[in-house]
Amino acid sequence: MSMINSENSRSSEANGVDPLSGYSTSPGAYDEMLSADGLVRQQWRPLLDGIGGLSEADRKLAFRNAQRMLHQNGMTYVARDDPNRRSRPWQLDLLPMLIQPSEWQALEAGLIQRAELLNVILKDLYGPQTLVNQGVLPAALVFGNPQFLRPCHGIEAPGDTYLHFMAFDLARAEDGRWWVLSDRTQTPSGAGYALENRIIASRCLPDLFANSNVQRLASFFRAFSEGLLQHSRRDAPLAVMLSPGPTKATYFEHAYLARYLGYPIVEGSDLTVRDDRLFLKTVEGLKPVDLVLRRVDSELCDPLELRPDSVMGVPGLLHVARAGQVVIANALGSGLLENEALRSFLPGLSRHVLGEELLLPSIATWWCGQDRERAYVRENISKLVIRKVFSPKNILEPGNDSYVGAELSAAETEQLSSLIERRGYEFIGQDMVSLSTAPQWNDDGHLTPAPMVLRLYVAATPDGYRVMPGGLTRMSEMGSQVPWLSPGNRSKDTWVLWDGPIDTFSLLGQSSANLNLRRGGRNLPSRSADNLYWLGRYTERTEGAVRLLRSLVARLSGETGPWEAPVTLDLLGSLLVVQGHASTRRVRQAIEGGSRAVENELWTILFDPDSDDGLAHVLANVRRTAERVRERLSLDTWQIIQDLNELPQGWNLRSGRELDDADQLLDRMVQDLSAFNGMVMENMTRGFGWRFIDLGRRLERVRHASKMIRHLTAREDVESTGALSLLLELADSAMTYRTRYMSNPQLPQALDLLLADDTNPRSVLFQIAACREHLAALPSDTADSVMSPAQKLATRLDTELRLADVVMLATPNARNGNRSALDRLMKRVDSGIDELSDLVARTYFSHSMPQQVSGPVWSERVT
Amino acid sequence: MIFDVKHKNAFAYSQDVSISHHILHLVPRDTPRQALHNSTIIVDPAASLRLERRDFFGNPVTYLTVQEPHHLLKVLASSRVEVQPLGEFATTDSPPWETVVDQLRRDTTFEVLDAAQFSFDSPYAESTEDIYRYAQQSFTPGRPLLQATEALTAAIFNEFEYQGGVTDLSTPPQQVLSTRKGVCQDFAHLQLACLRSLGLPARYVSGYLLTKPPEGQERLVGADASHAWIAVWCPNVGWIDYDPTNNLLVNDEHVTLAWGRDYGDVSPIKGFMLGGGSHEITVEVDVAPVNTA
Repeated sequence: MSMINSENSRSSEANGVDPLSGYSTSPGAYDEMLSADGLVRQQWRPLLDGIGGLSEADRKLAFRNAQRMLHQNGMTYVARDDPNRRSRPWQLDLLPMLIQPSEWQALEAGLIQRAELLNVILKDLYGPQTLVNQGVLPAALVFGNPQFLRPCHGIEAPGDTYLHFMAFDLARAEDGRWWVLSDRTQTPSGAGYALENRIIASRCLPDLFANSNVQRLASFFRAFSEGLLQHSRRDAPLAVMLSPGPTKATYFEHAYLARYLGYPIVEGSDLTVRDDRLFLKTVEGLKPVDLVLRRVDSELCDPLELRPDSVMGVPGLLHVARAGQVVIANALGSGLLENEALRSFLPGLSRHVLGEELLLPSIATWWCGQDRERAYVRENISKLVIRKVFSPKNILEPGNDSYVGAELSAAETEQLSSLIERRGYEFIGQDMVSLSTAPQWNDDGHLTPAPMVLRLYVAATPDGYRVMPGGLTRMSEMGSQVPWLSPGNRSKDTWVLWDGPIDTFSLLGQSSANLNLRRGGRNLPSRSADNLYWLGRYTERTEGAVRLLRSLVARLSGETGPWEAPVTLDLLGSLLVVQGHASTRRVRQAIEGGSRAVENELWTILFDPDSDDGLAHVLANVRRTAERVRERLSLDTWQIIQDLNELPQGWNLRSGRELDDADQLLDRMVQDLSAFNGMVMENMTRGFGWRFIDLGRRLERVRHASKMIRHLTAREDVESTGALSLLLELADSAMTYRTRYMSNPQLPQALDLLLADDTNPRSVLFQIAACREHLAALPSDTADSVMSPAQKLATRLDTELRLADVVMLATPNARNGNRSALDRLMKRVDSGIDELSDLVARTYFSHSMPQQVSGPVWSERVT
Repeated sequence: MIFDVKHKNAFAYSQDVSISHHILHLVPRDTPRQALHNSTIIVDPAASLRLERRDFFGNPVTYLTVQEPHHLLKVLASSRVEVQPLGEFATTDSPPWETVVDQLRRDTTFEVLDAAQFSFDSPYAESTEDIYRYAQQSFTPGRPLLQATEALTAAIFNEFEYQGGVTDLSTPPQQVLSTRKGVCQDFAHLQLACLRSLGLPARYVSGYLLTKPPEGQERLVGADASHAWIAVWCPNVGWIDYDPTNNLLVNDEHVTLAWGRDYGDVSPIKGFMLGGGSHEITVEVDVAPVNTA
């Protein structure tokens, strides 16, 4: 153990916390910050001085800011070992991992060599297989490997680039050398988290970052994207990010990277194969796709030729790839190289293929398919980790077997040993990993060491392979061997220090930097349009609900404003039923129980997270649809949605249950919703995406209004019961009415304002007119001069409202006192809106209907 | 012998299918003992795209896309093949099975490497310890490879009951081993798992079998079915086919369509479609000997 050398640790200034006091490293393990004799390594000195110089307040502010940014950006992941697959907040330790220039150059050279080597190996194995035929690589490592996908054999990659993006996990041994723990060639994850870590760390520690001469990340991603796009044959290629969808662990990252690179994020069902080409289903019809950056594992990409049970793929994708009509990154089948058994052959392959010694060693691995290695592993089982490397990921059952030799009983060891003797090719023995430690910055300002693994990224660029000058450092608990994304584990930004000038290019906020100028929402996938439309509808539905609840709360609290006539509990309760927040029976029971019972009912609607018809339910829909189009929403918009969702949870009402609190909560929600609408109106480009979100909003507003109007005007005495005032209030038109008429509300005037006044942005006519405009602007199958069915319907509603005779509509029948003409009109509007919604869905979203996929069951059964 | 094979598939959907993609393994491949004289595949409605190629194992594959809306798809494959009888060899002359396993580990000549790729577990034919122990009953130490394979074929035939409807495509061999029931595909997958658990190369063969009417009766047209069996690799002799469902050494009354690691590599016809609802499949197979006299 080495304690920090006291004259070396300059005691910190004003705040009194010396970050190094008490930092003690483990014997034997390499520490990133302290040398074996307890001296601070030179490159860490400025950083330590920097954090030591922070006042307690500054440090706490930086920590808080980091927490806030992580939270606001909705940065989550799903831990591997979580059976419930819940999203967890990402954990970031603000103190970065540092790598000095000379060390970085060595890592860079080693990784570029490794990337080139792996690319050549993959090309050979999916081509002539000379490495196998010449005996350089044992056949078992290819043919016994479930990741060798035979249907992918023979598919050529343009420019011989099979691997476009790779990740490597590295650990540092006691002697200070870096070892490669794993090669990620399938769909390497984490680069998006690394980027986000960088953004947060650099913003929360701006001075430290600016003074440290840290290499920037953006140009790496630009070069990667250029490298990918150059493989297309077309001038304006369409590249998409193929994601397994929002239910998967790293969807946050898929959306983040897609947005960063400017590619639409799609799922398998958004793509379709026609003839020899791959197409994206967009609201304008099918658009040819040239490049697919995939985050879906190879074997799941084409259920026709690969795993038939996959619902994430595109039937026929392999056929398109074979025809050379699409570039898939990484090439399908690339998971083959992730096999750990391959590692022990890399030094030989490097000499054979590149004529060079392998620069970066891998962790010591013995493949038991060879006699000598098998004998070694069987003799040393207790010192090794044994892994089954060919557990076929098959339809029948997944397998992931790994044994720590030291933890096995004698009988288990014997059994494993005989299995290794018989089926050696399935096993490797591997040295126990020893990890270096790096300082972790604790809340109290002190540093403590924790084991770490460094993940680095390599991308194919127009100038060959390049290493991302940064990485994802993951920390684990002391004593733990496998730092994966386990609950509670933290990550770090990785600063690659440089002694030359720094390229400060950034992709954030200037996505059009290297592209031709383009306008309009090109290539809006049907599924995104579908989700945007529903996001519009759900936010508006939320607004309707919140305004209704707010009016009810105001009236329950007793004191009303001069213009707010008191309303009976009956009427209040019935509105809850009309808007689907409660059943008739529940409301009747509550009303019988008096105002306190109604209040309780209201509380359930407002705050019960499990209520099916309450606010939580509507908000969950907002959140779900927003998540699915996250890459199309600005960060500010996303944060408003986050805030909106968290408001009711944060309102701790268990004890007080004060109506005043509820009132405040609802006020905040109305503000958030207005902010959201403001964002949509002021910040979204007027592309198709905006039109769908606004179309949804308008249709929902009409639906809400028509229900309210029908319900609140059903009785003869609308003026005196306060129903009319409530109606105006709910439609946010009370103020307009007052300034216009300076009197208590009268029904004909109110109907004019709410139905047929095209200058009132809350009127039904105003919404319909906006819908007409959207429908005219959206792509249509019919010729320009002919109206689509949806346009015809909107025009009919528009005309009907313009021609409406409000006096006649307001006059009750002499016979029964009903306003049946008004009722009929509102019914027509209501059903018209349903029909319109249907037509929009059929015209623009039908492409996103899930496909009927039938693999093996469809096949004929052989007898 | 020369055969005319007709294989009709009809897929009736409850709703329109707007587009469908298919992969067919319906053209018999050439083998050392089998020659394809001619073959046609008729698709109705007509495919908008049709492509013939060879798969990784050298089997002919047809890729089809039907892009016009349809609720009935018919695929009719007809072919004429000539199959030569198996030459003379003695099963007892084959090498002890352990030496074959050993040879596969060391020998990197093309023929051995080509065989070795079939010695590993595959998705539909995964071996287990139980399967290994079952295989050992036939593969006693030092027993000649083909003699042992013949014994295993007989064991599966004798100890398992042919019964449809108790298994499906995803029934693992382990389950077949414990229930002792299944159809030809299950027996083939089980035997593959047995052979591979020992480290021996074995492949799945998809094809047809000439059925003989009972004495004195006419042959029924269209009453045949697709069939499946296995082949084991033996040094110096090559691939020898065994049919565990019928306890046969395969001779000139089996027609080979394709071979692979298991059913998943060579299923006669599979497809994915947009729309369709539920569907019903009708299959008719007819294997008719051609009278060349």
